[in-house]
Amino acid sequence: MLRIQNVLLNPGLNCGFDHDFLPGKMTVVLGRNQAGKTNLCRLIAGLSTQASGDLSLHGQSMNNLNPQKRSVAVVFQAFVNYPNWSVAQNIASPMVAANADKAYIQYRVAELAGTLGLGDLLERMPNELSGGQQQRLAIARALAKEAQVLLLDEPLVNLDYKLREALALELRSLLEASDTTVVYTTTDPKDAFTLGDDLLLLDQGKKLQSGAPLAVYQKPTGLAGANLMSDPGINTFPWTALEGQGFSQRGAVNDSLANEEKGDLGGVRPEHLFFADRAGEDAVSFKLQVSALETSGDETFVHGMVGQELWVVRCPGMLNVQPGQELTVAAAKRDILSFGGV
Amino acid sequence: MANITLEELSFTYPGAAQPTLLPISVEIKDGEAFALLGASGAGKTTLLNLLSGLLVPTTGRILFDGVDVSEQSGSQRNLAQVFQFPVLYESLTVADNLAFPLSARKADNGLSGSDIKARVAKIAGELDIEHLLKRKPKALSLFQKQLVAIGRALVRPDVSVVLLDEPLTAVEPRTKWQLRQSLKRLQQELGVTMIYVTHDQTEALTFADRVGVMADGNILQTASPQEVYEHPAQEFVGFFIGSPGMNFVDITPGAGDNVYSHHGVASTAQRLGFRPEWAKLVKGAVAPELSKVSWSGTVTLNQVLGTQDGQPVGITTVMGDAGELKVRGPITGASGDKVVVVLDRFISFSNEKYMASHYND
Amino acid sequence: MINKPYNNRAWLGVLPVLLIVAFSAVIPLMTVVNYSVQDILDFNSRFYVGLDWYRETLQDPRFIEAFGRQVLFSLSVLAIEIPLGILVARGLPKNGAWTSVLLILLAIPLLIPWNVVGTIWQIYARSDIGLLGVGLNELGLAFNYTSNPTHAWLTLIAMDVWHWTSLVALLAFAGLTSVPPAYYQAAELDGASKWQVFRYVEMPRLGGVLVIAVLLRLMDSFMIYTEPFVLTGGGPGNATTFLSQYLATMAVGQFDLGPAAAFSVIYFLFILLFCWIFYNSVMVEDAEEPEGQRRD
Repeated sequence: MLRIQNVLLNPGLNCGFDHDFLPGKMTVVLGRNQAGKTNLCRLIAGLSTQASGDLSLHGQSMNNLNPQKRSVAVVFQAFVNYPNWSVAQNIASPMVAANADKAYIQYRVAELAGTLGLGDLLERMPNELSGGQQQRLAIARALAKEAQVLLLDEPLVNLDYKLREALALELRSLLEASDTTVVYTTTDPKDAFTLGDDLLLLDQGKKLQSGAPLAVYQKPTGLAGANLMSDPGINTFPWTALEGQGFSQRGAVNDSLANEEKGDLGGVRPEHLFFADRAGEDAVSFKLQVSALETSGDETFVHGMVGQELWVVRCPGMLNVQPGQELTVAAAKRDILSFGGV
Repeated sequence: MANITLEELSFTYPGAAQPTLLPISVEIKDGEAFALLGASGAGKTTLLNLLSGLLVPTTGRILFDGVDVSEQSGSQRNLAQVFQFPVLYESLTVADNLAFPLSARKADNGLSGSDIKARVAKIAGELDIEHLLKRKPKALSLFQKQLVAIGRALVRPDVSVVLLDEPLTAVEPRTKWQLRQSLKRLQQELGVTMIYVTHDQTEALTFADRVGVMADGNILQTASPQEVYEHPAQEFVGFFIGSPGMNFVDITPGAGDNVYSHHGVASTAQRLGFRPEWAKLVKGAVAPELSKVSWSGTVTLNQVLGTQDGQPVGITTVMGDAGELKVRGPITGASGDKVVVVLDRFISFSNEKYMASHYND
Repeated sequence: MINKPYNNRAWLGVLPVLLIVAFSAVIPLMTVVNYSVQDILDFNSRFYVGLDWYRETLQDPRFIEAFGRQVLFSLSVLAIEIPLGILVARGLPKNGAWTSVLLILLAIPLLIPWNVVGTIWQIYARSDIGLLGVGLNELGLAFNYTSNPTHAWLTLIAMDVWHWTSLVALLAFAGLTSVPPAYYQAAELDGASKWQVFRYVEMPRLGGVLVIAVLLRLMDSFMIYTEPFVLTGGGPGNATTFLSQYLATMAVGQFDLGPAAAFSVIYFLFILLFCWIFYNSVMVEDAEEPEGQRRD
């Protein structure tokens, strides 16, 4: 198990956080750009970084170990491979560095190349490969190290969207069986669901929340955390908008930000809203002034104003809604989130 | 604003064994929002470079409003381009950046200083960047810089077409939404012909009036987003659009004949395709209704994407008689459970080409 | 605080350099400072005279003249080398077969030992056997750099330009090749003229590189010794005696160690001033964020 304690991702913070990364499980670190995800990876890998903290792997401290001595392998965002070595030599490199037996190296290179679809490309140079192949090579190289911790820092972000889909699933099946501790950073909540056994939510260098994806999704501990799990972000409304709708549940989350700036806030995820003529007993409704429509084939995003706030409604299929219309949107009461003091 | 016609346009790099772009013919209407969608290597960048004058066609012609511009340079074609990262003049203020395309051609377009100022103010207003006019690019965020780059492309009132090369690449995921909205709104308000090149289906389908789906140097289908989604002309289009894309099942002659012909599937059909959202999962090993097309299998993977009515929903991968299939909907059954995939609608393909759409009664 | 694993062995790597710098630079420098505040009659009799030598040197008319000539020389060569270097850099093809060949040709003058440079030009400009000298005389110009101060100056400047313009050109070329092609394309689509492309696309990128080029040339030209010494020996008369040569005459020729040392210290402080300006400008340039390009 990889345990991190008193971690300060930015020098300006005064309170560090702790987290345990479980072995054999994939932990997805979710946060916006500049949230500290890369700093966290660099800290675990032992690379120079502004972050500081105590690290221990299976009970033994890693604090003063050089990156070379740590059992950590890293896959970076910008496909990093040795440009002057062939694919086979690249995959072999960590084993060569560890003075492994030649026969074993050959066997492992063939095995990893096969698993990652690089079997026919063993003699090619990295610059002759496509982006997806280069990143697969970087992954193969990282796996060849047989480290106890595998870090992937937004590895798919520079790839085509279709390739990303395919590779994410490949990664999942590749890593499922092993007992490596895997840490995968991303800005996309979809990755969190697809790949995460456990989630760690970061915002501005601070830990917001951790837990299983569905739990974090259904019970966010704050507005920032709730926002991270929905794409586009969560729709908010002042709690007073629900007056007269028979909704008295207040079990609110204490979010000091919401409290100070906007008073008690309610939130509802774009995907939980639906168009209805009238809200039923189990739902609450809002009036939406439609301003724009976006469709991506399997989903439609309706943009509009609810009160003073800009909302997005995410619906399956292609809807026939026009800008300028005023429509009723509803959400099940169980899907309403609340932020702020009770 | 111009209407653009590509006539049998093809391109081969000098010394290359195969053409990068096969002969393509397409017409883009004046004022249209057109998206070119395809994976890396599909040829969209080459097509873009042909349109912008960076490359000269190997065969075929490019016509702007009926005039052959194939030999003309980019600036002669009077077009503008937005790149993957904001390309601005670092030593000029935002206002001067916006004014540059107008003032550089002052001799030609006869605009006075005050005309230019007014136009800059108008565009800045549309993009909500008036407060940034006096600043230099150094002081702006990436998002703001790209807004200015878009402004620069739109500032000329007589611009023939605006080419956008994956303009949202450098922008943070959260702000992509805003930028997309701004672009779409501007395109409609100003009536500018825009050609938007991307590999992201959401960007293409949300932005465009019509989408051209590219693969291997060819445009496979040019149609409205709805058309491309519901009636893909080729199997690749069905696969590429949608997350995940279409499932394909071979139609083996003889098997399930009654069900297929009951739905009007021609005997020459070779495969049928269905989108994950066009199917349902039913627990158990036996098909509930024999009149519907269905297959049984075992759940191998559940990808939860959220909740609906408190129940997890997402994409379920099922392995069975028809191979590996993905179904989108409520999560029914855990890994290893037996389920039946029942189709609500599907499309029949022959030689990978669209034949007909079929619906369940 | 950067949290790196601390490695004490790195200091061992730096030790040799520290020792060499100490012996070849720091100790001699301290010796010179020591001499500069003493009157040295011979090895055994020295008297402490405070800042007398400094005052004397700064008021010495020949020092002031040499300083004036030095400034004029440095500014003249700078005024020619910087624009010429940029022009040459713009003329080079950015990539292609010829690029490497032309870069090597450009680099050749920089590799020639400085006294050889002086000798080449000394012969080249001679009005009896030099190609340039004879050629100019044939054209009707009575060219003779040994007797005419103006001709001596022009020859010196020509030599320095020939010697060092390549440095500016190579630096500027590096700066120009760092401009992504999209910028040129955007400017072309805007309808920008060639001049506008230079001013708005290339110059901002060259800014940082130019600061380095200017300060390097300024420092180097201020210290110039070998080439003018070989070419003109400081003549005719005093016409081309710059600071370094005057210093050398004083220290080595006349063995006035005290005043020479003071002169050296003053000279050193000027160069140090330029270094400081250089360092600050470069640090400011580094603080700017480079362009981020995420996808291929």
